Amino acid sequence: MGFLKSWRVRIALVVAVVGPGFITANVDNDAGGIAIYSLAGAQFGYSLLWAMIPIAIALVVVQEMAARMGAVTGKGLSDLIREEFGFRVTFFLMLALVITNFGNVVAEFAGVASSLELFGVSRYIIVPAAAAIVWLLVVKGTYESIEKIFLTASAFYICYIVAGLLAHPDWKAAVVGTVSRPPATAVRSYSYVFMLIGLVGTTIAPWMQFYLQASIVEKGITARQYRTSRWDVILGCLFAALVAWFIIVACAATLYTTGRTDIKDASDAAQALRPLAGEYAYLLFAAGLFNASLFAASILPISTAYAVCEGLGFESGLDKQFHEAPVFYWLYTLLIVLGAGVLLIPRMPLIHVMAVSQVVNGIVLPFVLVFMLLLTNDRELMGKHVNSRAYNVVVWVTVVVMVSLTLAMVIAQLRM
Amino acid sequence: MYLVALSELLGASVRDASGTVRGRVRDLAVAPQDHPTRIAYLVVQTADGERILPPEVLTSAGATVRASTESSAWDRHTPSDGVLLLKRDLLDQQIIDVHGRKVVRVNDVEIESIPVNSHLVLNVVAVDVGARGAIRRLSKGLVPSFTLRALLERIPPRVIPWRYVDLLETDPARRVKLKIAYEGLARLHPADIANIVENLAPAEREAVFETIDEEVAAETLEELDPDVKISVVESLDRDRAADIVEEMDPDAAADLLGDLNEDHSDQILKEMEPEERREVTQLLEFGEHTAAGRMTTEYIAVPDTAVVDDAIEALKSFEGSREALATIYLTGKAHTLVGAVPLVTIAISSPAAQLSDLSEPFVSCPPDTPQDEVAALFDKYNLITLAVVDEHGRLAGIITADDVITMLRHRH
Repeated sequence: MGFLKSWRVRIALVVAVVGPGFITANVDNDAGGIAIYSLAGAQFGYSLLWAMIPIAIALVVVQEMAARMGAVTGKGLSDLIREEFGFRVTFFLMLALVITNFGNVVAEFAGVASSLELFGVSRYIIVPAAAAIVWLLVVKGTYESIEKIFLTASAFYICYIVAGLLAHPDWKAAVVGTVSRPPATAVRSYSYVFMLIGLVGTTIAPWMQFYLQASIVEKGITARQYRTSRWDVILGCLFAALVAWFIIVACAATLYTTGRTDIKDASDAAQALRPLAGEYAYLLFAAGLFNASLFAASILPISTAYAVCEGLGFESGLDKQFHEAPVFYWLYTLLIVLGAGVLLIPRMPLIHVMAVSQVVNGIVLPFVLVFMLLLTNDRELMGKHVNSRAYNVVVWVTVVVMVSLTLAMVIAQLRM
Repeated sequence: MYLVALSELLGASVRDASGTVRGRVRDLAVAPQDHPTRIAYLVVQTADGERILPPEVLTSAGATVRASTESSAWDRHTPSDGVLLLKRDLLDQQIIDVHGRKVVRVNDVEIESIPVNSHLVLNVVAVDVGARGAIRRLSKGLVPSFTLRALLERIPPRVIPWRYVDLLETDPARRVKLKIAYEGLARLHPADIANIVENLAPAEREAVFETIDEEVAAETLEELDPDVKISVVESLDRDRAADIVEEMDPDAAADLLGDLNEDHSDQILKEMEPEERREVTQLLEFGEHTAAGRMTTEYIAVPDTAVVDDAIEALKSFEGSREALATIYLTGKAHTLVGAVPLVTIAISSPAAQLSDLSEPFVSCPPDTPQDEVAALFDKYNLITLAVVDEHGRLAGIITADDVITMLRHRH
């Protein structure tokens, strides 16, 4: 009985704090992420699967820092950066965050549009409708109701796992590809390395850290509950990595083995899957893309508005009226309206918008990660929850690898 | 007299009596124990460590700071908890704007410089929370200072006078040394205080609740969002929590303790005064969503033989919430409810009038009435208060309209 009760209590504790970590990790598998995973599977089969293990570890390590900071200080990341590093640094960081997140918002709406275009719906209907849904959802919802919707959206990623199963992959090859070292010949190939960089580069984005920390604070998780909350982060990251793994496997089992490596984005992948893995796999891929894009499109604008307003000292919060927090509401609204609007302009060079956003993303990321490291090592701020020495070693290695790969991606992007 | 911004002084080069640059301004210190607004000294980074410069030896303070003494005479800086360092403790931090009733972030600090005899007196005048301070700090060092000054003149200032600023400090010992008492905050309406508190980080909330007067703390606690309320009470030590809960309306206190985990609410109850504890424990036994769970036991009841004057005396000695004053209840033998007189009637009747003659038909409900039915009664009879009566007809408590509004708003 005692044993049973203690487990029940423990499960109740986990359920009470689940949310922020799980949601953040899953939003990371957005339109851009799914495109990269599909490409990786289509072009290199099972040979890039090994990267998912280090990627999952990096994700856990970085997210854990953000969550811990939120729980211990009760403040958002932009608040802390402002308080510790001053106004000017914060201003430029927030400016960059707006630029890169704008690009991300465009990418998400593009994902929404292309997923439904597979079913023959015009983007001139979908995009405005999606923008309106996103705007209303966040403005009219409460934290609890939105969290429930987002958690449901996270569960929807199971689509990709089912699609992976339907693709009848060679399980043995997939598992071997995951646990073995990368093939020596592949590592010397430029396109293989480029794809690897792309995989890692999409894994950790600046906005995630701001969003995760803010929602930990919003949920009221404190230092005492943090030990339980850590499971939220770890489980979320593992699930997100598992979903990514299945996307790669699905594409490897079908597109790679039949030589269909010419796909450009996630909706191409869905379409290419149709004759190979069947109608259901195709539908699941398309639905998954729609869900992921709409989900990320709901989170990015609001998280940006919060981070910017808190860092720069503007009134923020959905409990305020429009005239009480004008900057907050305008920023939020403009990100959605302009982000969706770009897609409605005929012959808009979307590739360039995304490329600029990717480049700014790569430039902002090192700053955000280094600030996070400095903050989590600040004893005055974190008390006994500062990084341990061993943890610091892991984090520094992660940060250095992340930053160099992201910068490599930026350079590659600029050369294209 | 002229105004100088903190961000202009920070980093300014410091020249000694000989006119040689000896260092740069690192920070400015106020010692609230000695004077609430006066700058006690400048912290100067020199080649030979941090030194302090009191304004008594300054002849000018701006883009360049000039001292009338030799740098060898400047004292070494020893960090102290008792001083407020403007850059470290104020710039970019959040403060409470008591006048505007919100939490804001400091962009800059305005300091007035007054020449007295042959030296300066520096006073903190206001904190800048608007675009002027923001742009000044963004463009510092990038735009020549006279162009910048001309540009900034055109921006309407958004400043908070220093007397309306309440600082946030989470360390209790330091709060005492810096004389931070949240006096300004405590003068606000509890609902406004609650709004401010909800915008703070947990440690800062705790600081406010540890410091302000228990009565104000209790009223503020009642206004807080339920989740925040619980986390605040859990963060306080038992003694303090009990002191605050005692000051709350018994129904609100019972609601709150009912939401805490059992260990915690027991510990708080144990620390409370016996009388308050009894009232709250009684209420705790009722279901939260029934009439009894919503009622308060602090009401005015007088014997049915009383006259208007007696009712006025009872009003004078009543210590419960103002909402409960709207109706005076008349009780007969064994505290059975026999009548109700609205406050308005009392106010316009002669002192000797019999209350039983003034009594109006009243509405009551049993303790186990579901809260939705309670709300329906309020709506149907346009009530301000509703009596809760047990199976023997005895008055158990009353429900006030404000509790019904809260209940309706929180139901969703």
